[in-house]
Amino acid sequence: MAQDPISPKDVDSFILNEVDSVPHLEALLILRARRPQSLSTAEVASHLYINEDSAASILQDLERRGLLHSMEGDPNLYGYSPSEELEALVKQVEITYRRELVRVANMIHSKASSAVRDFARAFRFTKEKPE
Amino acid sequence: MMASLVYIVGALIMLACGVLLLRGYVRGRQRLLLWSSLCFFGLSVSNTLIFVDLVMLPDHDLYTARLATAAVSTLLLLYGLIWEGGER
Amino acid sequence: MINGFLLGVIATSSVAVGVIFLKFWKQTRDPLFLSFAIAFIVEGFNRASLLLVEKPNEGNPIIYLVRLAVFLILLIAIILKNYGRTKSAS
Repeated sequence: MAQDPISPKDVDSFILNEVDSVPHLEALLILRARRPQSLSTAEVASHLYINEDSAASILQDLERRGLLHSMEGDPNLYGYSPSEELEALVKQVEITYRRELVRVANMIHSKASSAVRDFARAFRFTKEKPE
Repeated sequence: MMASLVYIVGALIMLACGVLLLRGYVRGRQRLLLWSSLCFFGLSVSNTLIFVDLVMLPDHDLYTARLATAAVSTLLLLYGLIWEGGER
Repeated sequence: MINGFLLGVIATSSVAVGVIFLKFWKQTRDPLFLSFAIAFIVEGFNRASLLLVEKPNEGNPIIYLVRLAVFLILLIAIILKNYGRTKSAS
């Protein structure tokens, strides 16, 4: 069962659509690096040198997007257990990010904030057609 | 008659916008959507008041109330856009 | 006096809101924001024009026809977002 190769366009699409900020991406990649181990909000906060509230909201955003999941017993513990397709995509995203740091960071920063994108998305009430 | 129809249609459109934005807020918890939805609900009320005012002809007492609701609503939206329109 | 003041508040804040929506349109290229920008800016000027009218009255055809145009711009923007041909990302 061969998978379609991930194109640079797919990587850029993922970054444009799913990544709200550089800390969001770093949080996702840390959890990917540590899988299948799960990390707590506090641990992620210390890895990223941000405060716990920011870490908590970042992890919640990632969970809401289906990129991470929280553990049943403890909602402050997060883990990365992706589907095959998602993992293939995130793996390419990580490679691209490490190789082209400035370009990816610029792409993320020039996006409208997630609030603005949510505003536009709020007006969709039909299903998006898969491209 | 035509005028009152326009305002009731407007009130409904504003209401729809408010509902869509409120739904979006519940999903994503972005405060911008909360302020925006309040604005559109307020504008809906304002347009409804215009409709009421036009239908009950001689009564122009509602004029200031109509303007006040529209002013507060738009200011709420402006506040939301300024504070919440950027990254956290 | 108070009514003139309130009209001024509405006109100015509407135009300001419209300009901010223009910025979002420039950032996202999403035509929804362009429509909202036009709607709010036009409505701002529409409100301001009430100051030129002797007896401000929203029953005046010009006022409500412009308002109708604004409502239609918003409605069409929302419909296009959902049923338009280019359903690009968000």
